[in-house]
Amino acid sequence: MAAASDTIEAQHAAARALLCDYAGVLDDGPLEQWPTFFTDPCLYRITTRDNERRGFPLSIMLCDSRAMLYDRVEATEKANIFEPHTYRHVLSESRVTSAADGLLRMRTSFMCARTMRDGDLILFATGVYVDEIVSVSGQYRFRSKTVILDQSRIDTLIAIPL
Amino acid sequence: MAMTDLAMRVAWPAEGVARVPFVVYSDPEIFEREQSHIFRGPTWHFLGLEAQLPEAGSYVLADVGDTPVIVLRDAAGDIGALVNRCAHKGTQLLFVPEGKVKQLMCVYHNWCYDLGGRLTSVAFEKGVQGRGGMSPGFSKESHSLARLRVHRICGLIFGTFSDATPDFETYVGPELVANIRRVCGRPLRILGQYSQLLHSNWKLYIENVQDPYHASILHAFNSVMKLDRLTMEGGVVKGAKGWHHIAFSKMTTDRGDEIYGKGPMRSAEITAYGHGLRDPSLAEFWDDFGDGVSLTVQTIFPTFVLQQLRNSLAFRIVVPKTPTSSQLYWIAFGYADDDERKSALRLKQANYMGPAGLISMEDGMVGGLVQRGIGGDRDKCSVLELGGNDIEPIEGSRASESSVRGFWAGYRELMGL
Repeated sequence: MAAASDTIEAQHAAARALLCDYAGVLDDGPLEQWPTFFTDPCLYRITTRDNERRGFPLSIMLCDSRAMLYDRVEATEKANIFEPHTYRHVLSESRVTSAADGLLRMRTSFMCARTMRDGDLILFATGVYVDEIVSVSGQYRFRSKTVILDQSRIDTLIAIPL
Repeated sequence: MAMTDLAMRVAWPAEGVARVPFVVYSDPEIFEREQSHIFRGPTWHFLGLEAQLPEAGSYVLADVGDTPVIVLRDAAGDIGALVNRCAHKGTQLLFVPEGKVKQLMCVYHNWCYDLGGRLTSVAFEKGVQGRGGMSPGFSKESHSLARLRVHRICGLIFGTFSDATPDFETYVGPELVANIRRVCGRPLRILGQYSQLLHSNWKLYIENVQDPYHASILHAFNSVMKLDRLTMEGGVVKGAKGWHHIAFSKMTTDRGDEIYGKGPMRSAEITAYGHGLRDPSLAEFWDDFGDGVSLTVQTIFPTFVLQQLRNSLAFRIVVPKTPTSSQLYWIAFGYADDDERKSALRLKQANYMGPAGLISMEDGMVGGLVQRGIGGDRDKCSVLELGGNDIEPIEGSRASESSVRGFWAGYRELMGL
């Protein structure tokens, strides 16, 4: 974790750039790049505030390797059927909860609007990203990313990751 | 509207349960009639799990159709189900989805009920300083909360409003009872919950669950990954009167590459360039029940689903919200004695199910496609003729819609349509 040599300000700036690029890929594509934001192995989860509060370990989506992230991309692009739609993420400032030994823990609120091809636009999801960010060979990556949704009811389905 | 008028307007075709008039998926009067004749009628409804009610006073809220229900463990440890509605104004007594209470106190005017639903006190019953108070004829005894009959099996709690409902085992039939015991016959551990808003009538969802025809077609992930194909050894078992069903398959018995890999099906197009899973851990599974059956999907009329998809286990219930929308609730579970590896794999296999389910995702949207597709032609019908016209299953085959027709047999009987 070479990021230990970076200043905390530099780490923070790099982590924010990572978050910004991540949201950009989900919103504007290409989705094939989504796995490249993670280390390998990694942990990506979507869960709900309600499950977290009650100590339930269930995820709506769970990937623990880059290969599994690619499997999800492949399923989304080739196997799963859903009405075409796009996201628009808006992220808050990040709250750094710890920074030590090259590991940055951050919490960032997000809102995600979903737009269907017919123009239907809804506030699809809000919540918090709980991220563990490390630098691997100078590249910042998510070692883990837990998407905790405020809501426990999803409108229709989640095809594209959040 | 009188029943005869409604029956005339719906005009079920002569083909019987091989046809379903589109009007039943959107008509507000039919929706109302379903509430009284099905949801408050002679049917059993899944209310929750004993595991959600660990102590006296523990409760969860449920919906039986549009009737709000409290499911709770009383002071003696018994489990009861009460309508969640104060006898005074009709206010919901409890409005936090789960928790623990000592009594049921209405926030509005502090009418209080014990955990058995008996009205124990009314604020200012005797008035203030001798003035006001309830009318002399008022009797607390006659204002208890309405109770549901409750049946418990393997930690699952079912309830019914009607005295006419047969006992649970007669209602569902011995094969379905056996499968509940098979899947839920040891202490359960709840892994988590979530729900989905579906833009369709509730019946479009439950028909989808009862329909083994679509599973390997709409859910291309199933057929590409060879998780569930109609070419596997399997079949459909019907519950009592054909209203309920179990579809099952054994994934180690597949011989389907000819049909799924080469036929005019989407799976063939995908197989041509698909890699299969890069991470094989998602395909890892074990035989939970020692019978080689890798998939069972069981319904209990009208809205309950018990799912065993490899080691991914869940209860689902669909609740009607409006004639054209519904909410699908999921409770994922494993067993109290699952070791770390099994727990981790069950949580990984949960990728198959729910709103982002690699397999179940499409079920959330396809009902909405039907709902929009049938707009404008309420006098037309769907056509359900795969596997014949009746509700008898075909031995050893799931290439049939007999289970969907069975649902409609129950629906027509209860609705008088």
